[in-house]
Amino acid sequence: MEYAVEMHGITRIYPENNLRANDAVDLTLRKGEILCLAGENGAGKTTLMKILYGLERPDEGDIRVMGKPVVIGSPLDANRLGIGMVHQHFMLVDDFTVAQNVVMGVEPTLYGGLYNINEAEKKVAKVVSDHHFSVDVKKKVKSLTVGQKQQAEIMKMLYRDVDILILDEPTAVLTEQETEALFVTLRELARLGKSLILITHKLNEIKAISHRVAIMRQGKLIGTYNTAEVDELEISRLMMGQSVTLHVDRVDTGLDAKPVIRFENVSVLRRGQQRPLLDKVTFSANSGEILGFAGVGGNGLGVLEAVLGGFVPVTSGKIYHNEVETTNCGTANLRNDGLAYVPADRIEVGSAVAASVAENLIVDARSSFTRHGVMNRKKIEAHAQKLLEKYSVKGTPGMSIGTLSGGNIQKVILAREIEQYKDYIVLSEPTWGLDIASSQYVYERMAELRGAGAAVILISSNLDEILAVADRIIIFYRGAIVAMLAGNEALGASKEELGAYMLGLKRQEAIHD
Amino acid sequence: MIDLRRRERKSLMVMMRSSIGPLLIVAIALVGVVILSLLLSKTPGKTLRYFFLGPIQNTYYFGNMLNGAIPLIFGGLGISLAMRSGNFNLGGEGQIYSGALVATLCAIALAPLGIAGAVIALIAGAAMGGFLGGLSGFFRMKWNTSELITSFLISNAVVLLVNYLIAGPFMDPSTNLIATRKIPEAFRLARILEPSNLSSALFLAITAVIVVQWYLYKTKSGYELRISGLNSSFARYGGIHTNWYMVLPMMLSGALYGLGGGIAIYGTYYSCMKDFSGGMGWNGLAVALIAKYKPAAVIPAAIFFAYIEAGARNAMLHSDVTFEIASIVQSLVFFLVTSAVLQSVGQKKRGH
Repeated sequence: MEYAVEMHGITRIYPENNLRANDAVDLTLRKGEILCLAGENGAGKTTLMKILYGLERPDEGDIRVMGKPVVIGSPLDANRLGIGMVHQHFMLVDDFTVAQNVVMGVEPTLYGGLYNINEAEKKVAKVVSDHHFSVDVKKKVKSLTVGQKQQAEIMKMLYRDVDILILDEPTAVLTEQETEALFVTLRELARLGKSLILITHKLNEIKAISHRVAIMRQGKLIGTYNTAEVDELEISRLMMGQSVTLHVDRVDTGLDAKPVIRFENVSVLRRGQQRPLLDKVTFSANSGEILGFAGVGGNGLGVLEAVLGGFVPVTSGKIYHNEVETTNCGTANLRNDGLAYVPADRIEVGSAVAASVAENLIVDARSSFTRHGVMNRKKIEAHAQKLLEKYSVKGTPGMSIGTLSGGNIQKVILAREIEQYKDYIVLSEPTWGLDIASSQYVYERMAELRGAGAAVILISSNLDEILAVADRIIIFYRGAIVAMLAGNEALGASKEELGAYMLGLKRQEAIHD
Repeated sequence: MIDLRRRERKSLMVMMRSSIGPLLIVAIALVGVVILSLLLSKTPGKTLRYFFLGPIQNTYYFGNMLNGAIPLIFGGLGISLAMRSGNFNLGGEGQIYSGALVATLCAIALAPLGIAGAVIALIAGAAMGGFLGGLSGFFRMKWNTSELITSFLISNAVVLLVNYLIAGPFMDPSTNLIATRKIPEAFRLARILEPSNLSSALFLAITAVIVVQWYLYKTKSGYELRISGLNSSFARYGGIHTNWYMVLPMMLSGALYGLGGGIAIYGTYYSCMKDFSGGMGWNGLAVALIAKYKPAAVIPAAIFFAYIEAGARNAMLHSDVTFEIASIVQSLVFFLVTSAVLQSVGQKKRGH
């Protein structure tokens, strides 16, 4: 068997947090095959591909391309070796034509220096007709559909004569028809002898397109399988891993629980996109419970967070807080109404890194430190000092928050939001990037809030976390709720079961509340 | 984690730069003066003595130098306020000029009201500048236009309009100058360092610095403004009406420029002459950049700028160099602070 790529014993450690993003990974790519690289977020797929494309250097391991040992120091090296990568985010100049974009960097020239646009268009048109693309090479990129833009990206690589093509979640932004068209192209490329690697976590696509599937989990390669020999459930099980039993004390949510936040048929549409970002979402978050939201990235959890935070307006449907409608009233009004919210993005949303810890601690409570428009600095400092002690943050009120460690920044944010909460709190990826002790700390605070009668909304892509702390679990797939597990269902749920819902393999018949 | 560490290092670098940077700029500018004198003057020793010591050799030159710093203080404050909120006001030239014209015309019209009229006229001038600045902020809020571009373009148009008004309908026919009539004697600010031009406007400028400092660091609105400037996503998340902080700081910034224009009339010029404020807007920008947008630091930065100008004037009078030496040195300062401008523009773009 001839291999286009052999990666052997690839290890990549991020020294900053001692994370083994890749741990002795062996990956092979056969000539003319389509290989899917599958795994959860953070499994190490992208790191591995970045190493192959020269964007990252491995700490250990070696790579062979077409049988020859190589060192890939940069994307230019990769291109020379015939390796191309299509990134998830398009790298195109909107105001240039397709032809101009495709030849960029390797433009055909006239008289040894002049840009030969006619030659470029001719050459690119040949790529288009050779591969049955449906793009006019003289069109400006900004007038293309998303699918056509992706074709332009692939053309860029074909124009450079790559034999090995890496595509990072190529279907994430495509409609179903566009995905279908892409797959036709990819199969054709494989037939012509090109070797392709697709990064994906969509099971139906793995089944539809790949010859083999390589599955990664927590930096390790779990195995490479012939796609025909494994079914979707097996792939899902391999991706998610065995259930970790990690239970936190649960309390009886009680019968007098009342809905605090209620969504009624909430949908969010985006212009130019057919599939809704949120699709008729209905649920209620009740007092004295932790309501967990789980889903794979890109399936609506981020949008749900933005809607709860008032950043994204809903297109239809209604949202109630204590049965008073708060639909689309904006973050400032939601804050006045008692929104407490720990955002997933701590640096860009949850803090102003250059401002002091004290200033960060009062952003949503600034009015209570103000009299006649003037702020009471002493009171603010004392408040900060008190919270730093109460939440055992290593830092001082005067330090800029950006100089604290990630865990301590998160504690500051938690402190601020918990102090602010009235009857509900939204936490999105609250333990992301935190070590075990800090995570445990966050869980304890969540349990306390629940004990105090709060409705705790937990949005998390970490299944272990959802299973460990959530009293009820709602699962999103493609912007819609596909399952709602309560009581014993939630307690007894396994990762495999949640995984099957998250990946769209299963769907509850009647979703109950 | 990587990001945090990089940020930590970055914030340290920023801190170092913020204190060393301005001093370095000052030092390089002064070295520039020495080199220019050596190159351009037949008697460099004499030129340098007049350049460096001239502005402080007697009360006349010293007072005039301080007087020159006053509009720069107002301009520097205006820019600092806008920058702190993450907005860029390049319309200083038009705001100062139109503010001066409006203040002058109102002062003449309101002469019978006495001191109240003087105050109202100044406020009207500030309102004019504030309106122009606020317009750019409003456009940004409404249509997401770049306030940097619109403030600059509006200002350019307004300068021409004011030129027309001064040379046309409001020209004082009794003089040969292209200027409006003079404001009432009673409105003129007292000279405080005869025989120089320095007037009590200096105290108004210092008061303005104190007020802006107080506003930024002690009031809730100032807090909201600064947080919006540091991270608008965070500000919005915290429930701050970030749209308002696209408009208000531009308004305040323009108002400070407009007030500076009015006060220049009250303290020094007495009538709005054609192009009297040319360059004050830009120099205010340079002053704010040297001061790193810290209100208190605006005073020494403005005095430094005025010092270069006064030094050059002095050297020109007593030696063989031309006044252009001031322009060259100021260009040098501009050149050096431009790196800071580009940096902050880059940061702003990333923030969006």
